[in-house]
Amino acid sequence: MAERRQALKIMGAIGVSCMFPYEADELYGQEHTHQEGAAAVLPTKLKAFDAAEFALVARVADLIIPATGTPGALGAGVPFYIDMICDANASLKGVMRTGLQWLAGVKFLSLTEEQQIAVLETTSKNAETGGDGEPERFWRAIKSMTADGYYTSKAGLRDELGYKGNTVLDRFPESTIPEH
Amino acid sequence: MLYDVVIAGSGAGGGTLAARLARAGVKVAVVEGGPKVNTRTDFNTHAVPYEFPSRHIPTMKNGKPGFDSERTRGIGGKTLLWNAVAWRLSQRDFKGKTYEGAGEDWPVSYADMAPYYDSIEREVGVCGNLDHLEDLPDGAFLPPVPMKKSDLIVQRGAAELGVKVIHVRKATLSTPRAGRPACHFCGNCMAGCDVVAKYNSADVHMVPALKTGNLELFPNSIVYEVMTSDENKATGVRFINRETWAQGEVRGKCVVVACACVQSLALLLMSKSSRYRTGLANSSGELGRNFIPHFTNGVECFLDDLVGQGTSNDEGFLDHAYVPSFMHNRKRDYARSFGVQFNYQNRRSVGWARGINGFGKSYKAAIKARYPAHLVFSPYGEMLPNRESYVDLDPTAKDKWGLPQARRFVVHSENDRKIFESMTDWSVRILKSAGAEILNVGKQPVGNHELGGARMGDDARRSVLNAYCQTHDVPNLFVVDGSAFPSASEKNPTLTIMALAARTAEHIAGRLTKGEL
Repeated sequence: MAERRQALKIMGAIGVSCMFPYEADELYGQEHTHQEGAAAVLPTKLKAFDAAEFALVARVADLIIPATGTPGALGAGVPFYIDMICDANASLKGVMRTGLQWLAGVKFLSLTEEQQIAVLETTSKNAETGGDGEPERFWRAIKSMTADGYYTSKAGLRDELGYKGNTVLDRFPESTIPEH
Repeated sequence: MLYDVVIAGSGAGGGTLAARLARAGVKVAVVEGGPKVNTRTDFNTHAVPYEFPSRHIPTMKNGKPGFDSERTRGIGGKTLLWNAVAWRLSQRDFKGKTYEGAGEDWPVSYADMAPYYDSIEREVGVCGNLDHLEDLPDGAFLPPVPMKKSDLIVQRGAAELGVKVIHVRKATLSTPRAGRPACHFCGNCMAGCDVVAKYNSADVHMVPALKTGNLELFPNSIVYEVMTSDENKATGVRFINRETWAQGEVRGKCVVVACACVQSLALLLMSKSSRYRTGLANSSGELGRNFIPHFTNGVECFLDDLVGQGTSNDEGFLDHAYVPSFMHNRKRDYARSFGVQFNYQNRRSVGWARGINGFGKSYKAAIKARYPAHLVFSPYGEMLPNRESYVDLDPTAKDKWGLPQARRFVVHSENDRKIFESMTDWSVRILKSAGAEILNVGKQPVGNHELGGARMGDDARRSVLNAYCQTHDVPNLFVVDGSAFPSASEKNPTLTIMALAARTAEHIAGRLTKGEL
C-alpha cells in the first residue's frame, strides 16, 4: 500500500508540473488510504421484542445460519439486528409477532434440535413452494432478515464469505479461465 | 452583473459548457441547486455495511446535510455518483428513422458529432479498446482495463452464439493524467470516487474553470424560473437559496438549462408567461412529450465455473465488459436494439442470499460456494418515442420548496415490449451458453437514464430544440442534457450529453463574439 501511495504522489507531481492547473495542495490521491471504519456495535437494549420473543428469534436465526468454522447468526449479533429492523417496521414486526406466538404455542424452545429443525423444514418447504400462511410469512421475514444481517456483518462478509475488496490495487490483474 | 451565459445545473452538460465557455473568455454563472461537495472527504467512499447498525451506507459522511441524492443536487450533479460508462452513439443511432423507419432522426449526424466526442474523450480521459464495430464507434481511448474472470467466461459463452463481448469504455483513468491518478480498483465508483480517477464535473470541469476567473458558482440555489423579456429573450434565472430560503436572480445574455432531463423539463414547464402559457419554449406543444428513458431489467445467475472456487479481489471499477448491440444485423420482429451491461454491483451486497432455498449448514455452504460466482446481467433497451410518454407538473403536489413536483408517464409500445422480451431471452441464452445457474429473471421493464422531452429536430412544430440545442422559440435559450435526445439508442447517454455541450459551447461562444446573442 505504501508503494502505491508513493506512486500516486509522484503521478500527482508530474501532473501538476506539466499538465494541469491544480495547485500543489489540491493534488488528487496523494494521501490516499483505504482505512475501513470500525464495525458498528448493534444496540442490545430490546425495542421490538420482549425477552421471551427475543429468545425465539435468536434460536431460529441461529438455526438458519449456525456457527460452523466461522460464527453463525448469534455470533454475528443478528438477533439484535432483527430487533432493530422490526422496531422500525410495524408490519414486519406484526408478521414476526404472529409467527413467534405460533412457535411459543408449539413450545419450540423445549423441543430437541432435531425436532426444531423438523418444524422449520416443513415451514421452509411450504414457503419455497408458495405457501402464504402465517408461519410461511414469518419464515420469509426472519430468513430474509437473518441473511441480510449476517452477510452484511463483518463475521459474515469477511470471515465467512472471504470478501477481499475495498483495497488499493496497482493494476487490475489479467485473468485466465480454465479450458473447457 | 450581467453574465454572458447563465447555466442552470452543473452536471455533465452544465459542467462541460461552463468549462469550455470560461476557457474561451466568456463570463459564465453556474447556478446549482445543491452545495459544493468535496469529493475527497465528503463521501462514504470506502465504507462497508457493518460500519452502520442499519447496514445502510449513507451517501455523505458524518451526516453532512444538503446533498440530495435523488436529484443529485450538488456541484457536479449526477457525475458525482455515476458509473462512468462512456459510449459514442453511431450513425445508426442518430438516424434510426432513416435506417429502420422507427424512432426519430437527430438533426445531427455522427460526422457532425465525432469531433466533439474526440475532444471530450481527450479532455476527460476515457479508457477502452478499439473494437472496430459498426454500431459502437471507436474513440480516443486510454488503454482498456483487463476483463474479470467472469467476463471471460461470459465472453466464451457468447462467442458460441456469435455474440461479441468487449471491454467496457469508461470516463475513468486507466493511466494517470492531468493531475489525476489512475483508478486503483477499490470497487466504490458509485459511492463517489475520492481521487477523481473517475470523471466528475466538479473536479474535472469546475475547479479548473474557476481558475480562469471567468466562472462564478452559485451553489445551494434552486432555480425555479427562467426569466424572459417582452422582446422574447431569456434574461436570466430566479432561484431560492436552500439554506436561507431567500430568493435571488442571476441575469445573462443567454441562458442554458442543464438540470438533468426531468428537472430541466420541470423548470421550463414552470416558467410560464403570457407568451408561453403552457411552459417556456413550448409553442409546439412538444415540451415534456416523447420521454424515452432506457428500460432495463436483470438476469441474476451464478457462473458454474466459479462456484466453490474461492474469492478474489475482483470488484475492480465495477463492470469491465459489455455486450454491444448485436441485433441490428439479425432477423428480428422489432426495430432498434439493446446492449448488456453486467457485473456493475460490488461484492458488499449479498441480498440474493435471501433467495437461496433451505437453511442451516447446507444453506450457509450454498451461499459461500455461490458468492464468487454471482453475476447480474443488465440489458438496456431503446424505447421508441411516443407522445403518450411524457413529463408534466403535478397540479397539487409540491416539494419542500413549494415547487410543483414533476410527474413521469411511460407507456411502452409493442416494439418496446418485443425488445424487452428479446433482450431478456438473449441474456438467459448467453448466460446458459457460458454455463450458469439462473437465479432470477426480471419480468418487468424498469426505467433508467432519463431522456427526451425537449427533443432536438429540424421541424419547429415537432421539436423543442434545433441542432445546437437552442430552443426554436427563444433564440438565446438552450437546453443541454438528456432531454434533448430525439431518440435514445440503447447506449448510456452521458458522453453524448457532454459532446452536445461541447458543440453548443462552441456555437454560443461564436455567436457571442459576433454579437448575435
